[in-house]
Amino acid sequence: MLLTPQSIGWKLKSTLYFITGAIASFLALPIFFIVALSFGSSQWLIFPPPHWTTKWYERFFDNPQWIEAALTSLQVALMTSIIATAIALPTSFALVRGKFAGRDYLYSLFTLPMIVPVVIIAVATYSMFLSLGLTGTLVAFVISHVIVALPFAMISIINSLKLFDKSIENAAVICGASRLEAIFKVTFPVIKPGIFAGALFAFLVSWDEVVISVMMASPELQTLPVKMWSTLRQDLTPVIAVASTLLIFISIFIMLVANILRKRSL
Amino acid sequence: MSLLLSSRKWKDLSLLFPICLFLGIFFLIPLVILLIKSVTVPSFGLGNFYELLATSTYIKILGNTFLVATLVTVFAVLLGFPLAWCITLFPKGWGRFLLNVVLLSMWTSLLARTYSWLVLLQSSGVLNKILMGIGLIDQPLELVHNLSGVIIGMTYIMIPFVVLPLQASMSTIDPMVLQAASICGASARSVFFKIFIPLCKPGIFSGALMVFVMSLGYYVTPALLGGVSNMMLPEFIVQQIQNFLNWGVASASASILIAVTLVIFYIYLKVQSDSPTSSNKGS
Amino acid sequence: MTTQQSSAPLVTLKLLNKEYGRFTAVNKINLEIQQGEFLTFLGSSGSGKSTTLSMIAGFETPTSGEILLHNKSLINVPSHKRGIGMVFQHYSLFPHMSVRDNIGFPLDIRKTPKAERNKKVDDILKLVQLEDFAERPPTLLSGGQKQRVAIARALVYEPEILLMDEPLGALDKKLREDLQDELRQIHKRLGITIIYVTHDQDEAMRLSERIAIFKEGEIVGLGSGRNLYDSPPNAFVASFLGNSNFIKVRAVSTSEAQFEQQTLKFREQTTPIKTQADILLMVRPENLHVLSEQQAEQEPLTVEMNQIAATVEETVFLGESYTCSVVTESGQRLMSKYISKDHCEIAAGTDIVVRWNVNHTNVYDQWKQSDITKA
Repeated sequence: MLLTPQSIGWKLKSTLYFITGAIASFLALPIFFIVALSFGSSQWLIFPPPHWTTKWYERFFDNPQWIEAALTSLQVALMTSIIATAIALPTSFALVRGKFAGRDYLYSLFTLPMIVPVVIIAVATYSMFLSLGLTGTLVAFVISHVIVALPFAMISIINSLKLFDKSIENAAVICGASRLEAIFKVTFPVIKPGIFAGALFAFLVSWDEVVISVMMASPELQTLPVKMWSTLRQDLTPVIAVASTLLIFISIFIMLVANILRKRSL
Repeated sequence: MSLLLSSRKWKDLSLLFPICLFLGIFFLIPLVILLIKSVTVPSFGLGNFYELLATSTYIKILGNTFLVATLVTVFAVLLGFPLAWCITLFPKGWGRFLLNVVLLSMWTSLLARTYSWLVLLQSSGVLNKILMGIGLIDQPLELVHNLSGVIIGMTYIMIPFVVLPLQASMSTIDPMVLQAASICGASARSVFFKIFIPLCKPGIFSGALMVFVMSLGYYVTPALLGGVSNMMLPEFIVQQIQNFLNWGVASASASILIAVTLVIFYIYLKVQSDSPTSSNKGS
Repeated sequence: MTTQQSSAPLVTLKLLNKEYGRFTAVNKINLEIQQGEFLTFLGSSGSGKSTTLSMIAGFETPTSGEILLHNKSLINVPSHKRGIGMVFQHYSLFPHMSVRDNIGFPLDIRKTPKAERNKKVDDILKLVQLEDFAERPPTLLSGGQKQRVAIARALVYEPEILLMDEPLGALDKKLREDLQDELRQIHKRLGITIIYVTHDQDEAMRLSERIAIFKEGEIVGLGSGRNLYDSPPNAFVASFLGNSNFIKVRAVSTSEAQFEQQTLKFREQTTPIKTQADILLMVRPENLHVLSEQQAEQEPLTVEMNQIAATVEETVFLGESYTCSVVTESGQRLMSKYISKDHCEIAAGTDIVVRWNVNHTNVYDQWKQSDITKA
């Protein structure tokens, strides 16, 4: 009743289909729209475009600034992902397996970067890197991205570790493996999808990060979202649609992989 | 014996060393310094807060921030509810499709989606063209660089953050309870309003609080889709720093934003752990 | 009974204690486990049976007390060096390895030479009849097959002791009985010592040579199934194992008690019952015979029998047997169980007498009300 499809009348059902269909289009259409626009010929983003073209893609790839920004993004996201996962892994073990008091409080503390508005993290770290003279450096980018990416990596690993039946690890120990051996030979291989998904989420957070990056960026070093941001503030050129399309496809690709991994980790 | 136990405990805590070090140095200390700056820059005292509260522009910004957050929360819940319901109702076909759309939207670049709305909503944009085409309006509507632009864009961004917790709480409702209610003689309408909605309440409430608190601190979408006259608090903070180097006022505003955020988040945690359908308590 | 004290015990638990904060999970238990025996820890959840097993395996550290294996302390020996085999409740197979590699894992850890490893794995696969499944991942096996793999993995390195923590709990009844028989065969064939944990008393009876009954962290009964059932050491065990009738009476001598107008006899106890003490008599339903008034007249009461007059309240047919519940004048309710083949149903409201043999009466002079009320 109301939670099983059979118990709902066809009238209500079709209304529900219609409404949710409309909301789903509201959610999905802007994404497809932007992909379509990146192939449109109109400078003024008229839709439907008069012709289809790849000239904006040529513009994008011919411009070393865009390419550099994309490469910086990739570099920052990769480093962020690795560092965030490396820090999150021992943290997750301590939080899931540890028997000390205050674990819930620590968990809340470590997820705080997800709660505190990004603007504030951006301003606070900006202020710190400013006084250290590090703004506009790769180090500043990576460190500030790791702060916001950490909770995502941690939550993913914690979830897979919680789902992991510890008696499997115990079975390895009783079979003669030391605790550390058991963790490396049994636990890690089994929760690997969860760890990998965590790393991917961290990558994605960094890849999409705008606010902090805008603060950290210098004219010499900027990520793709920063380049898009500064271009957007001048005009709405279709080249941004190209950059958006690239961001979208990489995001979708990573999300798909992460989802497949997460399902496998169950 | 106790020695063994304490060494075990120490080992657990040493695993937390990297994260404590990292977040301590790069997150907590800068945050605390920022908060301290609100009462020390340019001079010691509550001067920044007095200045803020005495300025009508600031009061307007604060009011606008809460207005936007409230409206976005209401719209996101209204639009998110049917989605969550459908996802729970049809977990295989249509529901799974909807869930994928929600996830796709959530994990697609924020900037790309905001840009898309900028183009869609501009006066020569698709939306205006359609509305004029079907004869609803003669003149293009001003949909962007004002309140409506911010509300549309933000609602769009926030829907997934309502759907996911709401759907999670709906899926913990035992369908038998609803069946029992209708066996007891309740009509579909009263089952919906007297049983289903009350059972969803914790999910709605936590989703709404989440969206509200996120909206308060949102920067990108309001900055791009909003106008000068309806600036929100995060934008104001960035502006104070980037344009005026006014760290004192910026830090004071940041302190207010953090305080509000943490209070609401605390309520959120309380609601979650008190809800009858929550299976684990907050961890 | 296999409790010959001639040989030294394989495992000895001495005053073994485990506390979690203020909660005592295992309360200073003592137990000796003989080489080659099949011992079951039986108890409801939270009775401390699994915690005790975990301490023997080394996953939990005792708060105090000793665990001895061949008279050597195991307390400071880590789990992986105890040389114990264990089968877990949810199989706990390694999901990323094939059946063969799961079983070979203990040998790989011990760096057993390849040829020897493969031979041992093949032998044990044959023992548990899984030769055809060797290359499959465990996710593709049925519950019973998974459990066989888990047993094979625990046996392949020939441990002296095999611990089993409710290994059949997740399987359905028929399969469980098959595997119980199989397990008994394996135990006989290998002569390995098995410590088995379960909350299922039928399973405990079916499998074990000795049963240790756990209650609130203590062992309240220890012995063979037959022994524990026929002469339970206390009212809790009497109530916990099978069904039982309890009659609260007052002793009038060391072997007699007053119930309503009748005198009930019981055997002299080793510590004599005090006159005027409140005592509890326990009779198993199958030892309580219901006789109609005519039958009672035809069969004179022997000295060994007790008799109470009562009225039938209800008779329920259960297939192989009937249960008949009767009520005495003072409202004492008693259950009798008799084989349906030899008897017929007795109508409700019939006045009858119930009789039972003095030797089938157990007497307790100390008990708690919670011991005899089944939750």
